[in-house]
Amino acid sequence: MEMRDVTYNKNDYVETASGNKVSKQTVLCGSQNIVLQGRVIVQPEAIIRGDLANVKTGRYCIISKEAVIRPPYKKFSKGVAFFPLTMGDNVYVGEKSIINAAVVGSYVYIGKNCVIGRRCILKDCCIIEDNTILAPETVVPPFTRYSGNPGVQIGQAPECQMDFMVDFTRSYYQHFVPAKLI
Amino acid sequence: MAYIIEQEVVKYVCTCGLLKPISKLYFCRYCLEVRCGFCVCHEVDSHFCEKCLENMPSAEARLKKNRCGNCLICPSCLLHLSVRAATVGPKNPEDPKATPRKVVYLHCLMCRWSSRDVGIPDQIAATGGWPERENVYNVRLSEIIEWYKSVVLLEKQQKLEKDKKKQRKYMSFTDKTGLTAEMIRKRIGLTEPPNPLLKTKAKPLEGAIAKEDVEELPDNIFTQPIKLNEITTVQQRLLQPEWQPVTVDKLFPIHKHLSVKQSLRCRSCEHNVSKPEFNPNSVRFKIQLFAYYHIPEIRIVTVEPLRAGQPAELLLKFINPTQHQTVVTILDLSSMPELIQDDKCSADTSTDDELKPIEKEPLSLSLTQSASLLHTTLSRQPSFTIKPRQTKQQVGADIEIPAANFVLPPRDDAAEFDDSGENYNFNDDPRLVKWRKSNKAVIKLQITPSTDLNLGDQVVVGFVMQHIYTNTIATSVEKDKEPQKCQHKIRVFLSLGNLLGSSE
Amino acid sequence: MTSRNNIKIIAGAIVCHEAKLRGDVTIGAGTIMHPCAFVNAEAGPIIIGEKCLVEEQSKITHRVPFDRVEQKNVPVLIIGSNNVFEVGCNVEACRIGDNNIFESKCFVGNKVTVTNGCIIGAGCYITEEQVLPENTIIYGENCLQREALCGPGQQTLQMDTLSKMLPNYHRIRKPNLKS
Repeated sequence: MEMRDVTYNKNDYVETASGNKVSKQTVLCGSQNIVLQGRVIVQPEAIIRGDLANVKTGRYCIISKEAVIRPPYKKFSKGVAFFPLTMGDNVYVGEKSIINAAVVGSYVYIGKNCVIGRRCILKDCCIIEDNTILAPETVVPPFTRYSGNPGVQIGQAPECQMDFMVDFTRSYYQHFVPAKLI
Repeated sequence: MAYIIEQEVVKYVCTCGLLKPISKLYFCRYCLEVRCGFCVCHEVDSHFCEKCLENMPSAEARLKKNRCGNCLICPSCLLHLSVRAATVGPKNPEDPKATPRKVVYLHCLMCRWSSRDVGIPDQIAATGGWPERENVYNVRLSEIIEWYKSVVLLEKQQKLEKDKKKQRKYMSFTDKTGLTAEMIRKRIGLTEPPNPLLKTKAKPLEGAIAKEDVEELPDNIFTQPIKLNEITTVQQRLLQPEWQPVTVDKLFPIHKHLSVKQSLRCRSCEHNVSKPEFNPNSVRFKIQLFAYYHIPEIRIVTVEPLRAGQPAELLLKFINPTQHQTVVTILDLSSMPELIQDDKCSADTSTDDELKPIEKEPLSLSLTQSASLLHTTLSRQPSFTIKPRQTKQQVGADIEIPAANFVLPPRDDAAEFDDSGENYNFNDDPRLVKWRKSNKAVIKLQITPSTDLNLGDQVVVGFVMQHIYTNTIATSVEKDKEPQKCQHKIRVFLSLGNLLGSSE
Repeated sequence: MTSRNNIKIIAGAIVCHEAKLRGDVTIGAGTIMHPCAFVNAEAGPIIIGEKCLVEEQSKITHRVPFDRVEQKNVPVLIIGSNNVFEVGCNVEACRIGDNNIFESKCFVGNKVTVTNGCIIGAGCYITEEQVLPENTIIYGENCLQREALCGPGQQTLQMDTLSKMLPNYHRIRKPNLKS
């Protein structure tokens, strides 16, 4: 199916020089530690906790409404340290999902209402379906499709997943246009 | 995105007759035909563990029964186990020199099962050394396996001898002169050296003896209350068939199963259609002949609400994925006859080839790029070919076939950065082509759902898409350097949604 | 049913300004509330114990069950100490003990009594009227139950780190009660 235009109110969004479109209603804690590489869309009510550790996303990422991007912590004998969270390019994070992962690869599709457990590692080209709960420290190998609670592999992602995600995120970004004032 | 969430709206018909979306199709450049996961040969490329993402050689995998040596699974929720560190107080608290030791234990992060629940002692090293349990029946099982191996070998030998006796067609040189090693041995008087595997003759196996007397059922089985928290579920029990623990405190961790990387091979020409890289972390392919890269993709842009008997407008987007220009023609379904799976009609396949304007080049072996495949193709016979089956798709609407065809320019990767506009000036029929951008075009078609359909039925439309495919296999030096072009036809079925109105 | 907010923060608690508190809420010493946490005391006061950790998007609601609307005395929801409410959990239990962990996106209905040392796994929906025995672990889609040998460990290490990090990035509400 072909994408339709999604319009947004120009006053509600801030567009940066590198093309990031960030809603004014997001909660960006520690914004100096958050790096959005370029052409990233962050929709309203999303929460990115840059105060805990560095958060870095790649290009053409889409963070939907009410998603929470939170760096995970690791317990050491001497204390607790929060580890930086890196996301690759062309990642789609669905609505209300909670990303506590240590590493999210590129070309990943994360559905809505997901919980990605602490210190999970999501490799490139994987699909996490809607309403999945991934146990902490799960490693999701490339080209797999995870679903359920607890998240287990239920199938395979198509081999062209990389092209599909590139196409999907780019066309989403191109169709995300400010509403024209009449 | 539709391919990611598995919404199968636009389906192509594979050569074997099955309907698949373009994400699940492959295109064999040598046969110039579409293949799908069903008609392609799946082969195991490499084994790897999903958790540690390490490759394991196939021989080692077979030895370890396809399980990873390091990674363990929680026996209660079947997810991975992680290692957790803890500090334990010194063995001798009164001794001032003893320091608290660091120990590790296994812990499941989903159901919070830990190796301490079962009584496995904590280890000092983080990497392993978890005690392995011996199977009580190992000796008996290995005896049985040895015995059956010898039986199989004996049968093989007998079959070979039979074949030797049959092979009297050709007289070899040695037979004429009588100088085979076998004949010399017979003359001297030595017997044939026995097969080394048959040397150690397996012990004759004692059959299993059935016992008549069984343990008596204890009386308290009826009176004792059951604590459900302490009994294992059937799934947990059967995951370890050697031990099958009944109570929770006997649940031991299990080694994780290995996953496999598969490569796909076309059955008729024996060329690889998809071959992933060896590294489990990598997402690239050594050979990727996916239909998505060779056949124009069709996407539904909009469709007007469908009413039986009323014409509705359908907008389709065609995308050319190749680096060559192509001309797309839409034809009626009847222009591509079905390949019937009757044995007598196997001659039909040859008539189908005549539809293509240019004769397909015979598979001259000099064309292939990967020379290593040549040796294997020469020796291998196709295991079996899939007979095409009838496509079971009822078409519920008629489509008005446009008279004109349209051109799709090649894909230009640099075009997204360069907005200088296009120099293409196609004489498009404005009623057909509604919009164009680089290698994409939106086409308008009229469809009329048939009056037989009921309200709420799924409306399916079908047509044949014919496009010019430019073969990119490198041609040999003698021939001219222009790549070959051929007309490729493929049937497409679109599910357009439910019928909203009836003809009344 | 007070519509005005009556928030008492005991000294030592770290409550970010973006945390939403509604109704009569008392927060004990050592408790950390992340931004966007939501505590709604609509049916009565909520008393949160010491050293609790309430993460973002979690909702602690004190709701009166439908069959007990007409009672005259106002029930108080007492939450014990050392509880962890992870991101996105939705807790409406009528009583909560100590040392519990409510994982992400779990839902605990208002007829459930949670005792001590329980772990409600991610994504679990518990609505039946019951009292969860001590040290129960609930996990998975079907809310399977297990009994643990001992309760979950304490989160003191994490709390210490957070209590040092959060004041650098957020505005903290001033405590208004000394003890």
